[in-house]
This record gives sequence, C-alpha cells and structure tokens, in this order.
Amino acid sequence: MQGNRNALKVAMVSVLTAVVVVFTMVVRIPTAKGYLNLCDVAICFIAFTFGPWSAFIAAGLGTALADLISGYAQWAPISFVVHGVEGLLVALIVQKKGDAAVSLGRKALAAFVCIATVSLGYFALSALFISTVSVAAAEIPGNIAQSAVGFALGLAVSAAVKRAYPPVSSLAW
Amino acid sequence: MTTNTYIAGTGWLYRFDPRAKLLLMLLMCVWFFLPVSLLHLSIVVGLVILSGSTNAGWHHAWRTFVSISPMLLFMVLFMPFNVRDGSPLLSIGGFTVITAEGLEQALRLMSRFIGITYVCTLLFATTVMHEVMLALRWYHLPYKASLVVTLAFTYIPFIADGFSQISESHRLREAEDEKKKKFGQRLKDLVPTLTSALVVALRSIPNLAMSLEMRGFGREERRTSYHSLDAYHHVCIHFILSCTIPVVFWFANIFF
Amino acid sequence: MINALSIEHLSFTYQSWTGKQNDPLFRGLSLQIPSGSKTLLLAPFNRGKTTLAKIICGVCPKYFPGEMDGLIRLYGKSLGDLDPWDLLPVCTYVSQNPQEQFVATSVEEEIAFPLESMGMDRATMKARIEEAITHWGLQDLRTSSEQELSGGERKRVLLATMQAIDASFWLLDEAFDDLDQHWRDQLKDLIATSNKTVLVLASRYLGEFDDLFDQVLLLDEGVVVKGETNSLLTRFAHLCGDDLPSPLEREHVLPSQRRILSCLSLQAERSRVSTAESEHFTLEVPQFQLQSGELVTLVGPNGSGKSSFSRLLCGLDAPLGGQITIDGKPYEGKQLSKRVGYLFQSPDLQIFLPTVAEELSWSLKRRSDLSRKEVEKQVADCAELFSLDLDDTPTTMSYPLRKALQAAVYYLLDRPFYILDELDSALTYQSALSIIAHLRHNGAGILLITHDRQFADKVAQRSYTIEDGRLSAV
Repeated sequence: MQGNRNALKVAMVSVLTAVVVVFTMVVRIPTAKGYLNLCDVAICFIAFTFGPWSAFIAAGLGTALADLISGYAQWAPISFVVHGVEGLLVALIVQKKGDAAVSLGRKALAAFVCIATVSLGYFALSALFISTVSVAAAEIPGNIAQSAVGFALGLAVSAAVKRAYPPVSSLAW
Repeated sequence: MTTNTYIAGTGWLYRFDPRAKLLLMLLMCVWFFLPVSLLHLSIVVGLVILSGSTNAGWHHAWRTFVSISPMLLFMVLFMPFNVRDGSPLLSIGGFTVITAEGLEQALRLMSRFIGITYVCTLLFATTVMHEVMLALRWYHLPYKASLVVTLAFTYIPFIADGFSQISESHRLREAEDEKKKKFGQRLKDLVPTLTSALVVALRSIPNLAMSLEMRGFGREERRTSYHSLDAYHHVCIHFILSCTIPVVFWFANIFF
Repeated sequence: MINALSIEHLSFTYQSWTGKQNDPLFRGLSLQIPSGSKTLLLAPFNRGKTTLAKIICGVCPKYFPGEMDGLIRLYGKSLGDLDPWDLLPVCTYVSQNPQEQFVATSVEEEIAFPLESMGMDRATMKARIEEAITHWGLQDLRTSSEQELSGGERKRVLLATMQAIDASFWLLDEAFDDLDQHWRDQLKDLIATSNKTVLVLASRYLGEFDDLFDQVLLLDEGVVVKGETNSLLTRFAHLCGDDLPSPLEREHVLPSQRRILSCLSLQAERSRVSTAESEHFTLEVPQFQLQSGELVTLVGPNGSGKSSFSRLLCGLDAPLGGQITIDGKPYEGKQLSKRVGYLFQSPDLQIFLPTVAEELSWSLKRRSDLSRKEVEKQVADCAELFSLDLDDTPTTMSYPLRKALQAAVYYLLDRPFYILDELDSALTYQSALSIIAHLRHNGAGILLITHDRQFADKVAQRSYTIEDGRLSAV
C-alpha cells in the first residue's frame, strides 16, 4: 500500500509553493535602495533540500502567485519562467546520490547559475515584453544582489533545517 | 495577510463568463503588441481603464496605477537611451538628450505596459478564484495542478501567520535593544527565524498528505465539483464577444 | 454481528531520528468495538491516543514512519488490503488539531471536498452541506478562510464535515475540547441519537458524559484495559498524575521586591475579517492587576479576546487608549516586552534552534555580563529542572517536552511576569502545573489564559473573565 505517493507529492509541492509566496511577499529586508525580497532564499532552500521537479514547480508557481496576489499579474508569466528555471537548474546541479556532501565547486557553479538565470532571465524577458533594453538593464544590479544574498542564505538555512528537523531527508522528490 | 484579489461588484465584467474572459485577456495582451498608431493605442488603453473603473471601482484603478508608477518613472527617466539616432527633440548644448522617435517609443511602451497591467489585474479583480480555476480546468488544466494552486492558497495564510508569530517571539526574547546592526549581522540573525518558519511549514506536509487521502484524494471515482460555471448563460455569445472586441480594435486602426 | 473495529495484538514504535531507541507505544494492544456502540477510550495526553486513531485510519505508519505489527479490521476487512481513501465512506476521524485536516480555502469548500471525492452529484452535495452548516451554526462563516476562525469554530467545521460525509464509524479525538457548552451538548445529542459506531478518545470534560457511552475503556501502558467505570477513572487519574501533590504546593521564593503590573482604562480594537466586512470589536479593560508571586487566570470562550489582551499586556500591540504600568511607571512596546514574557499556545513558534543546548543558551550568550562558564552552568541547571536532555533535537521531541523547553527558555530570561496562553491544551493538568511551578520559582507573577474553567478553578487565586469585549474580575 506504499506505492501511491501522489498525495505526498501534491502536499509537498503545495506547501513549498506557499512557502515561496510567503517568503516573496511577507519577508522583506530594508536596504539602502529599497527592499530585498527573500524569494531566492526559499527557492535555493527547496533546490538544496528537495528534488528538481519540486523546485521547478514551487519556485515558478510560487513567484507567479505572489505577483498575482500583489497586483503585478503582468509579471507572473515572466516570474514563472525565470524562477522556475532557476529552481530547476540549481536543484539539478546540487543533486547528489546518497549522503555525500556537495563539493565547493558544485556550490560555486550553482551560485553562478542561480545569479545568471535571475539577472539575465529577467533582463531578457523584461526587455522583450515589458520595457526597453535600457530599463531592463537598470534592474540587473538589484537582481544580482538579491539572488546572491538569496543563494547564500538559502545554503545556510538548508543546513540549519537539516539539523533542526532530521525527517526532512525522507521528503525529497 | 490576505490572498484575495477579488473585489465585489456588479458590472458587466462580473457577468462575463470566466472562460471567455480568460480568452479576452489573452487576446488583448497579444493585441497590445500589434503595430497600431500611438493615438489608437492610447484610446484603447483609456477604454480599458474606463471599463475597469466602472466595474471594479476607481479606487482599484488608482491603486493599480500607483503600483506601476515606479516602472513608468523608470521608462521616463531612460528615455534618453531610446532611438539615439532619430531626429532630436531636446538638446542641451549640442548634446541630444531626447529624440522624437525616442519619445514616441517611450510613450508606446508606457501605454502598452499600462494596458496589459489593467487587463490582467481586471481579470482577477472581477473573477472569484475558484471560478478562475474552473475556467482553467475547462481548458484542460489537470485537476492535480488546480488542486496544488488551491492548497497553496489554503496554506499561505497559515505559513504567513506562523512566520509573523515567530518574528514576534524573536522580538520578545531579545535581551538587548537592537543597536544599529550591520547588514551582515542582520542577515545572520534572520537564519533562525527563517529556519523555524520552514520547519513549521515542512511539518505540515505529512499532515496535509494524510488529510488529502482521508478526504478521498486517490479514489477511483471521477471527482465531481461543488462549484460550477452553470450560472453563466449564453456562453457562446460571450466567446464571440471575446473574439470580436480585439478584432474590432485592430480594424479600427485604419481610422487613425 | 460483525465488529466495526477489531484490533488484535497491535504493537507500534515510532522511528527514531536521534540515534536513541524509542520505547514501543503499544504492546500487544487488542480492542473490539461492536457495530453501533458508543465507546469512550480514556487516554491521557501523549500516550499514543492520536497515534492509535491514525493507525485505525490507515495513515500511520504511512506518513509517520515506525514499526507496526498486528491485525486491524474495519467491518471485517483487513486494513492492510485497503488504502486510506477507501475508508472515506467507512470511517471519519476528527483530529485534536483542526489545522492539520484542512484542505480547502473556505468552510463550505472544506465540507464539499470529501463529497466531491465520493463522486456525489451537485444537488445531493448542496443539500448535505446546507444541513451540516445549519446544524453546526456556520452560516455566517461559510465563505470564511479557515485561518481566521477560532479554535471552537474550526472544530465545528470538522464536525460538520463529519456529518456531511455520513460514514458509519466516527473516531473523535478530544472533540469536546475547544467547544463551548452549547456545542458540547449538541455533540452529545448527535452521538446519542445517531446509529453510528462512535469511538471517543478523551481526557477532559469526563464529568459531562453521564450515560452517553455503552463501553468505557482505558489506554494504560500500551494496552487497552476493560473494567468497571469507577476503577478505570481512578486508574486514569493516576496515569494523569492527578493523585500526586500539586506542584504548586512546592516552595517558591518570594521576591524581595513585590512588583505590580496593572492596566487602567485600557481600550483596544480587534478586527476580525469575517465574510463580507471586517467586524471591529473593541476590547475594554477597566482594571487589571497582577502581582509578583501571584497566579491569576483569565477565562473566556474561544474568540472572546484573550489573545488580544495578552498581546497588549506584553507590548506586541499598542492600545488605543489607557496605559499599562509596572510599579506605577507606564511602559510600552519593547520596554514592556522585556518585563512581561508571553508563551504562545504553540511551542514550535518560539523554538528556533537545532538543539536544546543552543536554544537555552541563545539569550544568555548575548548578555555581556555573563562568562561562558556561567552560561553553561545556568543552562545545565535549567535543563535539569525541566527534565530536558541538552543534546536533543526539539522538533523530534514529544509535545510535553517541547512545552517544557519553551518554558525553560523563558525561565532563563527571568522576567518578572509571564503570560501563559492555553498552557493546558494537550497537556495533562499535572504537567501544566509543573511548568507553572517552575516559572514561579523565582517569584514571577503568572497570568494563565484558558478556556477550561475546571482547570482555572483548580489553580487560581484570582480570576478574570472576558465577556462581550469587557474584561472583569470574577
């Protein structure tokens, strides 16, 4: 009777999506230039702790829903693609077999991919569909900063969660 | 924290079938990218804002505008970068700041952005979420996908509440006043709060899976639906309207 | 006559995540429930009652890993041959913690979900949902989000769902807790007049049950015991620790300086987003006082404003009018939070760190006046007082231990006043009293908030109550 894991997968993806939404909307750190939102922390956490598919759906759907709820529905498809791919790629890079720790090289590559996906993805899609190349380019530094901070915190948080809540390792998909 | 995008009202948009409304929204978003004259584009945007305000209220229209004004401001500020080799409109001491084509491009982008924004937010302001989901399922969105979205909406308030209470209990425990903490220290201190919030969320996963199965998710019978879109009559007419409106706007371009 | 439920030689041990071996929860437990009977299973908190319910529903060990042995049959069919969703029309479980059973965004959709799963047609669904909503008084809440409901309302949503599903076997885990008197009577009527098989797991409000049940059993040391009702009740009281001397009788230090926390003409606004508009309730506190070393209770039904008051008292929210003073000096915000500790109902919202030792030393480490050795000693003494293991992981500890850890953290903060929100929910009275005694050790004044009048009467020196938005002394 253990065969069917559909309910667990649905539950996992739904809760993780909700986590991404909350981290995007509710958690904001004030900085010199405005607000940093923590969606990338949640996405990187999910990518390190769970598998590629959970990361893809939770990241994409979560940020899209957050945009929808905050009244930025026009950004939703772009967020879905950019953050979905971010989650998917980072998860694929840090995926490991068994309990071996992830090498520093892999982590560095994942960080680079994460930052590149977010900044370039938003740049390209915004330039195409929302505004001009120059306006989209102005957002690149902010996006780089946010995704870099997000990756670093996501790494720290994922290590902390594994220590604080050991059963999480049985939930991977 | 509210996840509600719906604003109660009684205008014609509320009586429009959600499936046709979805199609209309998509067609209008595509329409905004078509090559039409700037004047015509602004008139259509004006019409969109007008129908939005008469349906969802002026307060909603104003709020939407305020939320996109930073982006609009950016577009204005970056005008000098548009079409550098056009006919100069504004020069300061021999240096061309803004070209005529640059201004037109900026105005066009702004109108397009405003139009798409209003069209998208109006869809969600005039349609209850479960009807949006029903419309998507009619377009063959798998049940599991709509269930994931509904469950996410169920859990967002729970996790948001948990998070705010965790931050509050952090505040309650602090022994010293927060001096001007360095940014790095602030981030480090954030980790326990985030960890705790994540653990609260993760613990609810097995409970949710358990409850889904106890409430019948996984049964062989085909699921029925408590809500339906039967209340909408003459759906064909709505679909015809959805297709006609963008086409009419397209052909009206000839006059401008 | 086939038994509705038949359990033979059930043994179960939870999987351990910490390397220590867990004790078996059940050892050869056997239980027979005849069809149509109403059974009361007495079980103290934290001894496996919820685990047993989840095993019967087929979701444990599927979602809560552990080793299980034994044979369980529902209406003759072995549980091993069935999936949990097959049991939907057979058995309904009402959880002690409603939050974990919610799968929809509003009350009526929650009730509709299982009916949709059963493939019911829309007309029948509507009729069943209407009946259930009316019976449990949820008409005004039908489109409300479940997160906004009070504890009692959430329980009623679960009970309405149970009624709409109309399964043959009802498994109620502490269903009477959280409900107001009116709804407890309603539930008793429902159980008495229906022809369902009902198994109630309870440890509270036992005096109200009278002749409701045909069979009374006791969960004792991992097996189910039959017997004469009175002897079972005595044994049950012993298991809960009720026959031990009250921890409050222990010596506690009287502070050299008696401090007084008081409120004068406090006014606050509580907004509750209900279905259509936000209703604003005002909370009025003409007079309130708490002294060091005192134990005062605040009793009131669910949703009456007890938590709103606590938040004002500890500085989390600001009042609209009036002031809060300590020894005559007004305080607010962070200054007030440093003097009044607030223990939330859920301990998991106040525990952040991966081990008990780190959790306990977190606040102490930030103080500049303590050396490392002093911090270690204080932490070790505190852990011993509360019976905590320094290397344990809080998230895998049992609920009473997590509650003890929450209290231990605040004990080390040494606040002069503490507010305990619903401390007695999911704890035996003895455990709750034990925690109160520890916190009072250094002479703190304690405000205990509860909806259980029985518990309040047992412990209070003075009592307050909130009715219609007004706090008054009893």
